[in-house]
Amino acid sequence: MKLLLDSSSSLLFSLLLAQLPVFTSASPVPPRRPTDMDKLSNQTKNLMKLTQELLREHAFDSDVEPHRFRSLPEMSNRSANDLQNLELKPTLSQLHSDLKLYEHHFEWLNRVSKKHHHPAVPKLVEMIREMKSLINLLHRQMQRVEAPRLTPATPSLPPHLPYQFDVLQSSHELLQHFKLFCDWAYRAFMSLKPKVSAVQ
Amino acid sequence: MPGLLLPSPVCLTVIWFLSWSLRSSCAQIWTDEVSAVQYGRLDSNVTLACGKSQIGVPVVWRLNHSSALPWHRVTSDGSLVLLLVDQAAQGDYSCYDDRGLLLHSVTLRLGHPPGLLSISCQVPNHTHVRCSWVDSVKTFLPAKYNASFRGNGQEWRPCIVDLARRHCDVDHPAFWQPIHTLRVTETNALGFETTYARFKLHELLKPDPPEAVLAQQLEGYPKRLNVSWSFPSSWPLHDAFPLVFQIRYRPQGSIYWSEIYSEDSSVVIFDALSGHIHQVQVRARDEVNSESQWSEWTPQLLVRPWEVYTTPDPVDGPEEAFDEDYFFPFDTKPETSTEKSHNPVHEDDGSLGLVILLVLFSVVILTTILSLIFVVWMRQRRRHHATKQELTSMVKMKSMPI
Repeated sequence: MKLLLDSSSSLLFSLLLAQLPVFTSASPVPPRRPTDMDKLSNQTKNLMKLTQELLREHAFDSDVEPHRFRSLPEMSNRSANDLQNLELKPTLSQLHSDLKLYEHHFEWLNRVSKKHHHPAVPKLVEMIREMKSLINLLHRQMQRVEAPRLTPATPSLPPHLPYQFDVLQSSHELLQHFKLFCDWAYRAFMSLKPKVSAVQ
Repeated sequence: MPGLLLPSPVCLTVIWFLSWSLRSSCAQIWTDEVSAVQYGRLDSNVTLACGKSQIGVPVVWRLNHSSALPWHRVTSDGSLVLLLVDQAAQGDYSCYDDRGLLLHSVTLRLGHPPGLLSISCQVPNHTHVRCSWVDSVKTFLPAKYNASFRGNGQEWRPCIVDLARRHCDVDHPAFWQPIHTLRVTETNALGFETTYARFKLHELLKPDPPEAVLAQQLEGYPKRLNVSWSFPSSWPLHDAFPLVFQIRYRPQGSIYWSEIYSEDSSVVIFDALSGHIHQVQVRARDEVNSESQWSEWTPQLLVRPWEVYTTPDPVDGPEEAFDEDYFFPFDTKPETSTEKSHNPVHEDDGSLGLVILLVLFSVVILTTILSLIFVVWMRQRRRHHATKQELTSMVKMKSMPI
């Protein structure tokens, strides 16, 4: 009897202890788990924020477009109407290829900025890291929906930037383009979200 | 036969009639030429030729049938040179020969050649751009406009001109380009000028204000107000184009606004001042692009929270419907501007959940403590029992005869 009482009390205690984390984590309205598309859009927004900070802190506002970069992803053929009729797989593949291209450009900018000891280098490094993370996330999503991986275009980068001014100007141009690309990409992810749910 | 050779009165009448009709038709031709318009520059010398008048033949010039002319001289070939003309020199000019026969007539209109235009663009959504312009130089002359639009490195595409309103429209621009350029060429009778204007569409993006805004009291809640609205009709209703809304409200008479941000189409205000009319306004901005602009505020709505024993006032409507001199009887302490990022209805759910969670947690804690007490008590009891047994056995042992 004694043994029974002893063991039952211990069992009760253990059960209660085991239930404790269950109770504490339980919520009447369980929060919705972010989907992969949510992660993609959030990461894009984060990148856009970083770009804006870099533009605000280190670039200069100029209406002069230097056109140093000839191989940036083409945005002239993307209109608001397209965003409403995007196809899942081609869009994911295109965004992946575009991001890879930007990654090359920013790595180049980082190298050049390091040479000129530009103060934006730490933030650029952070940005490239975030960009890589977004690319990986996107690649995983592509694998999930079986979207093909496009052959990335070869970047054509300016050969030599002799002056700090050139670095600033290039930085401004690249960041301006990338900010708009992120804006478009975010909207594309938002637009594709229901389509991914339908596929999965 | 002699009758045929001699001019009879009938014949004379016919000849007179023919000559008269010929002369009047000739005059008609000249009158038609009055519609010819010559344009000249203000503040310069303007020369009006007297048709094909011969050199040396004196001519007489008239302005609007009057012999009073602005400052001028007449050249040897009969041309009229108006010197440093001003607006008063405009009108219908005609020159006559010395017999009073009309030789030439022309309407003179004066002005300036086009100057550069002052251009501004409105971007109410991602699919439409409207650019309008005003003259930097008042030309006083009718003009035509030709407008084109392009993004970086793109081909020019037409911007459709509304001549009367002096604006042009571009549908479905390539929005995601850093800089766009508008080219407008103004042409009038005195020349043409092309103006280039560069824009950042993403910074000019400014939605129209929200529509169908409603501010209502919530029955049974004297401190709450429900505000709802709909997306501006010009904004595309699609997941790709989210909007963020800012709602501001204050008791009428207070100078401090409280603010709420929401991505939904309605909010509940929880901290309204009981019994007081509140002013409520809403505005919208693109949620993705933080560099875009806020829309204009919607017109002020006036609403009074629900009150016990009172008939609700007509709450929705323009501010003019209320007494302008409404006295705010309390000391208006500065209200802190609060930012609430989501629908407070969800907050209600959240707090309820929290309460349930806390109750559950307290029950668990209480049960745990009780169990611990129970376990400790059991162990003590067991120990006590063991001690008692030991003592008993010791007593027994002691009582045993050795």
